[in-house]
Amino acid sequence: MVQFRVPKESRVQKGKVWPAPTTANGKKPKRTKDFRVYRYNPDVDANPRIDTYRVDLDSCGPMVLDALIKIKNEVDPTLTFRRSCREGVCGSCAMNIGGLNTLACTKAISDVSGSVSIYPLPHMKVVKDLVPNMNNFYAQYASIQPYLQTKTPMPEKEHLQSPQDRKKIDGLYECILCACCSTACPSYWWNPERYLGPAALLQAYRWLADSRDENTGERLDNLEDPFRLYRCHTIMNCTNTCPKGLNPAEAIGEIKQMMVKRGV
Amino acid sequence: MRSQTPLQRVQGLGAAHSGTQHFWRERITSVALIPLTIWFGFAALALVGAREVDVLTFFQHPWNAGLMGLFIITLLVHSVIGMQSVIDDYVQQPALKVLSLLLNRGFAWLMGAICLVALLRIVS
Amino acid sequence: MADIPHPHGARPRPLSPHLQIYKWSVTMVTSITHRITGVGLYLGLVFIAWWLVAASMGPEAYAPFLAAAANPIGQFILFGFTWAGAYHLFNGIRHLAWDLGYGFLPKDAMWSGIAVVALSIVAAVGMFVWAYTVRMGAPI
Repeated sequence: MVQFRVPKESRVQKGKVWPAPTTANGKKPKRTKDFRVYRYNPDVDANPRIDTYRVDLDSCGPMVLDALIKIKNEVDPTLTFRRSCREGVCGSCAMNIGGLNTLACTKAISDVSGSVSIYPLPHMKVVKDLVPNMNNFYAQYASIQPYLQTKTPMPEKEHLQSPQDRKKIDGLYECILCACCSTACPSYWWNPERYLGPAALLQAYRWLADSRDENTGERLDNLEDPFRLYRCHTIMNCTNTCPKGLNPAEAIGEIKQMMVKRGV
Repeated sequence: MRSQTPLQRVQGLGAAHSGTQHFWRERITSVALIPLTIWFGFAALALVGAREVDVLTFFQHPWNAGLMGLFIITLLVHSVIGMQSVIDDYVQQPALKVLSLLLNRGFAWLMGAICLVALLRIVS
Repeated sequence: MADIPHPHGARPRPLSPHLQIYKWSVTMVTSITHRITGVGLYLGLVFIAWWLVAASMGPEAYAPFLAAAANPIGQFILFGFTWAGAYHLFNGIRHLAWDLGYGFLPKDAMWSGIAVVALSIVAAVGMFVWAYTVRMGAPI
């Protein structure tokens, strides 16, 4: 049976409370918010824990990522997380904030009422703190062969595509592979290696829907599997959580329709 | 530690090239079950508090006997597929998986046999 | 690239929390309810089998079935199956709409879920009210 609880050594324990540092003029900060952050240090033989950081909102930027950077700069330099562009195009700072997967850089602190709980992306092996191991996720992306494949000889200039056909990959090509959707999906939690997950399947459909690609049949062959594709039960967590507003559930539905069209 | 690369692990034994039949059969049985379930709902309401003779008279009508038989068979086909989906999601240990798949089929055949034999006895 | 070796041989990397922390949504609840009602209805076939067998074996066999169905626990179980059937039926139609490509906007998926829950309760309660009033509270 699938384990619905996390293994014993993964259970979260209580951690430290870090008070907010005094303001520049030596006073106690007036407006603070608690950030309850998942901590795990691989160099110490201990379970993960939740540390609470009290952050002065008056000297902090508006986004959750601003708070995390502030904590790392001013309170606890050991806090580890991925971040890069801070504007929602790189996908590095994907994490679970207030129970939902999203990008820390585009999630406003004011959107979370009460204290802000921050966990790594769900049901992933944790490397350190908020950094999950993404090897399996990237391998699944590689396995759908995310590149144009053609059989007719290369055209002299570019592969042509009509504006209408180009429109068909809108809402698909914008994916930044942050893994918010896949790690929000219960089906992916229970079968993370056999089920491709919403992100890889959205990308698979991006190439199925591309009028220039000539490998549609082979692509469908590789997806036609009870686990790779059909573990999707339209739970909709993927679409509900996508920080780019894309719709992986709908893309998977389109793949299923293509399967039926060619097989029934 | 496993020395497989993540890509090897993800590709596993390759795609099974199946699943669409399963998916499609689940859908066509569900479409058939829409009218059949509504019929069964009305039938059950009509038989609320009925005596045994009334139930017999009801099912001795060929339409009712036929629809009840169809309802049970379609329901079982649909349920076996649905239950297999549940097993695929949650049961991974090979021996346990084979056992659950067997139990699933066994339960459906048993229920089907009991219901249809009882129905035939009522009709004849 | 193979797995990165872990400094503590004995302690595996932790698995991040999932079900424990993920915020429930309407679509998540309606999905797991579809599954639970489906499995419940499948097992509930035992009761339909009992009903048909009892009817086929004459009035003496049918009497205990009627008595069981009429007592409060029996009525409660019957109501449970009635609601589960209505829910699985309506939510099944919602799934068929998805399979045809309709209703994938997050807002639509949420409202269709709420509608399914409401409709299923109305249908189940309606059937029981009808049974109790029109049929004068007779058993089954």
